[in-house]
Amino acid sequence: MEPIVKLEGIEKNYGQGEVVVHALRGVSLALNPADFVALAGPSGSGKTTLLNMVSGLDRPSSGRVWVDGKEVTRMDRSELSRLRLRRLGFVFQAYNLVPVLTAYENAEYVLMLQGVSASERKQRIMHLLEQVGLKGMENRFPRELSGGQQQRVAIARAIASQPALVLADEPTANVDSQTAESLLDLMVRLNEENGVTFLFSTHDRKVMRRSKRLILFRDGMIDSNGSPDVFMADQK
Amino acid sequence: MMLLSKLAWRSIWRNRRRTIITTTSISLGLMLAVFFISFAEGIYAKMTDDAVRMLGGHITIEHPSYRDAPAIDLTIDGMSTLRSRIEHLPGVERTKILVMGQGVIKSGSGALGVMVIGVEPSIEKQTSPLAEKVVAGSYLHAGDRNKVYIGRELAKQLRLGKKGQAQKLAIWLEPLFDALHLSTDWLVEEFDLRLALNKKLVLTTTNVHGDLVEELLRVKGIFKLGTPEMDGSMIQIPIETARKIYGLKDNQATQLGVILKDAGLEAATLSRLKTEIREPKLSVHSWRQIMPELASYIKIDGGSNFIFQGILLFLIMFTIFNTILMSVLERKREFAVLLALGTPPSKLKIQIMLETAMLGCLGCMLGLILGGALSWWIAGVGLDMSSLMEEGLSVSGFGIDPIVYPEVTVGLLGWLGGVVFTAIILIGLYPMSKVNTISLSELLR
Repeated sequence: MEPIVKLEGIEKNYGQGEVVVHALRGVSLALNPADFVALAGPSGSGKTTLLNMVSGLDRPSSGRVWVDGKEVTRMDRSELSRLRLRRLGFVFQAYNLVPVLTAYENAEYVLMLQGVSASERKQRIMHLLEQVGLKGMENRFPRELSGGQQQRVAIARAIASQPALVLADEPTANVDSQTAESLLDLMVRLNEENGVTFLFSTHDRKVMRRSKRLILFRDGMIDSNGSPDVFMADQK
Repeated sequence: MMLLSKLAWRSIWRNRRRTIITTTSISLGLMLAVFFISFAEGIYAKMTDDAVRMLGGHITIEHPSYRDAPAIDLTIDGMSTLRSRIEHLPGVERTKILVMGQGVIKSGSGALGVMVIGVEPSIEKQTSPLAEKVVAGSYLHAGDRNKVYIGRELAKQLRLGKKGQAQKLAIWLEPLFDALHLSTDWLVEEFDLRLALNKKLVLTTTNVHGDLVEELLRVKGIFKLGTPEMDGSMIQIPIETARKIYGLKDNQATQLGVILKDAGLEAATLSRLKTEIREPKLSVHSWRQIMPELASYIKIDGGSNFIFQGILLFLIMFTIFNTILMSVLERKREFAVLLALGTPPSKLKIQIMLETAMLGCLGCMLGLILGGALSWWIAGVGLDMSSLMEEGLSVSGFGIDPIVYPEVTVGLLGWLGGVVFTAIILIGLYPMSKVNTISLSELLR
């Protein structure tokens, strides 16, 4: 099976001269379609940097990245923009919804950029909002929604365009444990029912436990990569 | 585009107070610019209109050598035919025939050099504002012979009135005037003017043959334009009398003036007349060539007015520059999210430009409506500036009317609105370029 994400010897250094921070040190990794992968590790271990490399938001100092068979590290700004629009979905820790758009419009935004017809947009968004439990809240602006509801809109926005991969940076960090649990249920369901590949970073052990694969980072390197059950058992 | 327009419109109202302050400052600046420019245009238009109607029209036809060295023998012939060729042209309101010469006018008390204008009284009454500036007696009539219409200043300098008699009357009536809290100065002036009417004057000049001629004239009316140059050195006499004095034939004159229905038609009519009138002894001039000082004044004053308004608007531009730049800088994270979602940078730039255009459009529309409405209203009622203008304020002898009627046109509004809007769009280019500096990984960390 062709991996949906492939990283080969990724290094990322910040700063110059004597003050150089090695955020990633030769990371190599492959993700298969319909994977549900959690990146864990202490703050500053390189989780977010890795997500940025995969999404093309940042470029590695050395190494190569492929997403959906295409080499991200060789793409220019507009090609990256097209890749993110067509093949990737994003969920941010701070939701990052557009405050002047309603829940419906936020989810619709990417579809409009893709040029999807109005009738299809409506059908898809209404179905998605129902799936994420926001039926009846379509016309609410982000300020009128709770943190959990905003993150649901963000998830709906991320998967509305039916991307090959959803990247989520600590998606449950800003919500209470009950909301985090329900968000996780939603992500698992989308992964299982729709086959959406998820790659997300987290500090939450409950979230780690629900992943199909857990990659533990330490000092910019992969410390362990495998089933969360093995890791959790080791921790006990 | 719908999506970007929606985003732009909602974004500008995110900070309602800032948007209101920005649009208000644009609209106030534009309102003032519209008002002051239309105010100045009103002054220029009135000054020009009065001058061309009083003298040689919007377009003047005369002998080709007259402009270089005005002389009474540089005449044009066949006035009736020429007139009929011109009067049927579109945009022509009327033509006027003038005989313009120099002379010395003498009374029993003194003599002064004057500009003599032989006019057709019936035409002047319909076209020239001078015919309405009578302060004593009446204007010339068709059929008048050896009558003269002079300025108040000239009447004073030639001592035509009997100031002594007027003063005696004033002293006699002083108790009555004191009781009524009125000044006797007015009485002396008025009485003096009345006594100047029908007085005899002798005009001495040389005719086309070079002979010295003298003609007895009687004062029919006295005018007051308010400028010492015109009031003290210009006289009008019936054209038949002028032809007789200067030795001209019935069909001869020094100028044929063309009055247009609309000053805006001048360029087109001038070009048409230059094409149609090709006789070697006729040359066609714009009023700008006939009255170059007035034309230069309008050009220089208008230019300085535009520069002043330009500086005002330039300062206002900083308000919108600040607003757009702040609004972009404080939304960098939001823009980073939109870029991360796959929004092409060009679309974000269009959104910022749309926000700039919407702010500019709102401010410009409001400014044009307010400025236009204010100018139109004052154009209807007039603005009396006499308390701010000293009496006799003039340019090249042509008085500036203290009652100003701003001249606002759709063209002026469109031009000003276009210039300001374009400047706002240009100013929006810098904040727009900030999209290129957005670092996604830093902002989304």
